[in-house]
Amino acid sequence: MAVTPVIVGAGQARYERHPAVERRTETFIAEAAIDALADAGISPNEVDGFGVASFSLAPDHAVDLLWKLGLRVRWVMEDTNGGASGINMLQHAVRAIEAGDAETIVLAAGDRMEKREFHLMTDRYNRVARDFLAPLPLNGPNALFAFLTQRYAREHGLEREDFGCIPIAQRGWAAGNPGAVYRAPMSLQEYLDSVPIAPPLTRFDCVPIVSGGDAIVITTPERAARLRRPAVGVRAIRALHNHDQQEGDGIHSGFAEIADSLWTAAGVRPEDLDAAFIYDDYPVMVLVQLGDLGLIPDMDVKRYLHRTILEDRWPINTSGGQLSAGQAGASGGMHGLVEAVRQLSGRADGRQVEDAELALVTGYGMVLYTHGACHNAAVLERVA
Amino acid sequence: MSTPFVVPRCTNCGHLAYPPRILCPVCGHGTWGRALADTGVVEEVTVRRPVFKRRQLPWGNWLDQEETVLAAVRTDAGPRIVCRVAPGTRAGDRVTLAARGSTAIALPGQVVEAEPQSPSNAGPAQGS
Repeated sequence: MAVTPVIVGAGQARYERHPAVERRTETFIAEAAIDALADAGISPNEVDGFGVASFSLAPDHAVDLLWKLGLRVRWVMEDTNGGASGINMLQHAVRAIEAGDAETIVLAAGDRMEKREFHLMTDRYNRVARDFLAPLPLNGPNALFAFLTQRYAREHGLEREDFGCIPIAQRGWAAGNPGAVYRAPMSLQEYLDSVPIAPPLTRFDCVPIVSGGDAIVITTPERAARLRRPAVGVRAIRALHNHDQQEGDGIHSGFAEIADSLWTAAGVRPEDLDAAFIYDDYPVMVLVQLGDLGLIPDMDVKRYLHRTILEDRWPINTSGGQLSAGQAGASGGMHGLVEAVRQLSGRADGRQVEDAELALVTGYGMVLYTHGACHNAAVLERVA
Repeated sequence: MSTPFVVPRCTNCGHLAYPPRILCPVCGHGTWGRALADTGVVEEVTVRRPVFKRRQLPWGNWLDQEETVLAAVRTDAGPRIVCRVAPGTRAGDRVTLAARGSTAIALPGQVVEAEPQSPSNAGPAQGS
């Protein structure tokens, strides 16, 4: 009989702007993993697989964390794909459990990330960033996404107040998430008046940099049946990396190439979804992903922004997303997965979407030169 | 005196790839020459504002952090380049590209600076 692995726990280490000095990267990852296991009702000695993603774990690696957490495992991985790391690890973990290589896997991500650490990370993101971008100076990807925002605005006839629908709507959701760093409602005027960062991007188009951690637990349906909690199944996962050799325009993404295969494998259509958790490093990338995956009817972007996202409050990034909750380094790649699992398990207190059964989660990231190279997406469903 | 901007060119199929790759993304060959990519059109412009007004250098002195005007430039030769541009440069402007810091292609630390094109050499540029 085929094994169909399920997600049975999700957890976080609280996102913080200015963590105490003794709270290191491993602290955040460990707290998230422990929180996810507690949510699942599984003890650490039942775990036999572990995966981790982090920008700042060095000189430690996954095995050092295993040791410090006292885990003995048959399957281990370390993922370096940033915003796509969560779904990438999930893709591998599902196959590992299907193949019998492991039975219960914890996937965790986290970073201690303050300004200094952030700039160290971005200036040495890869060799090209170090040698061809940082010397300009560039200092992080804001300017690159300012280009993409202008390009997308031209193509779809959008103004700043159109892009603002995303951070404003997500701020509305963040009010229900005690873990978000921005929780106060934001008006259109506040958005328009916010501090310019790299025009047209302003402060509220950019993620607040935080320290934190995220984790999920995946296991066999047999073990899941013994737990007193709903399980979340994985209907399909699709990925595409380096689809255009960085020679495309960055606003026609790899998601367009995986969309048909994803929906066919999942056996559902975008209109069947109850919620979506879209990697939100910048508002423009939320639109690129929604459009390329077929969620924007007739590609009427302006109408979708004002009607579906802002007025109807169709559930996208109900944690507030990274734009309101914060981006804790590689944790950003697992943030949407954790919120999706919470929603589909009926455990999104304060912001629960009624009857949430089917959700889309995306991962996007790793800017090689001008735009992200990693794309992946998962369709998740509540199974019990 | 500025050095014209050059990019790697696949010796097999002629594809231009910047920043440099190991194998050509079009034909898969791995031998590279170089080609001029010193003219282009500005696609988008933004201004990067420094997070801190002053930055301390490793040897203790302080450096004023300036605003940097950055652009995506589509070269006439093909590759899209991220570079600095002179203040006042706008989307749609034609620019010439000069290598800054190094005369060789693709050396670490190479910085591309786009300068407004003087009227004497304006006009359609030759792809190479």
